[in-house]
Amino acid sequence: MDIQAASVIAAALAIGLAAIGPGIGQGNASGQAVAGIARQPEAEGKIRGTLLLTLAFMESLTIYGLVVALVLLFANPFV
Amino acid sequence: MGQHSSNVTLSNQSPEPVLVREEQIASPDSNSLESHDPMADFYQLQRSLLLTTLALTGIFTFPVWYFFSPNTAFNYLVGAITGLVYLKMLAKDVERLGQQRLGAKGLGIFVILILVASKWQQLHILPVFLGFLTYKPAIVIYTVKSIFWSAEKSENDA
Repeated sequence: MDIQAASVIAAALAIGLAAIGPGIGQGNASGQAVAGIARQPEAEGKIRGTLLLTLAFMESLTIYGLVVALVLLFANPFV
Repeated sequence: MGQHSSNVTLSNQSPEPVLVREEQIASPDSNSLESHDPMADFYQLQRSLLLTTLALTGIFTFPVWYFFSPNTAFNYLVGAITGLVYLKMLAKDVERLGQQRLGAKGLGIFVILILVASKWQQLHILPVFLGFLTYKPAIVIYTVKSIFWSAEKSENDA
């Protein structure tokens, strides 16, 4: 297998695997936040604030995978 | 009975007749609910995060300019501004959560940035990416500040 084909497969694996965990985590966090807001509407601001912080950290994991994939595809140092 | 009928109601639901005042049925804490906006904390957090990210961008740009080159500082600045826009869009998404589902528009902006950085000779991926991540120290600073602030507040209350 040449380097280019291996890079394309590696890019697909990088973004695909990096999206699974944060995707599950974000879905869980958002669902729990909406349930919490429905239970305690007076704490809506605090719940949404905490959700913003957690989503920012979770999405950065996807971003790392995305960077690796994009570098492999468009700025591959091995080609 | 006629004198009290205007502000006293008999409940038919319970086995024993219970007297309930009308002003209790109409929201008893309506004034306190109106005075406290439940979203105020969220807007305050959003504003604080954006301002801290902006301040950190300004603080980091000058050392990068001094120790590396103006071009690297420009790259860093482009990444940091994109990170700011991404954070704003994420906050908008969280604000609309419940009416619509979470989108991935912010990631789209990041993909465009990295594609431009890889194609355009003036931009380099590493400083742009590190600039984009400037919002993360801002989040850490806000979290540490809020932890110390709440600990100080609980000490003062005790």
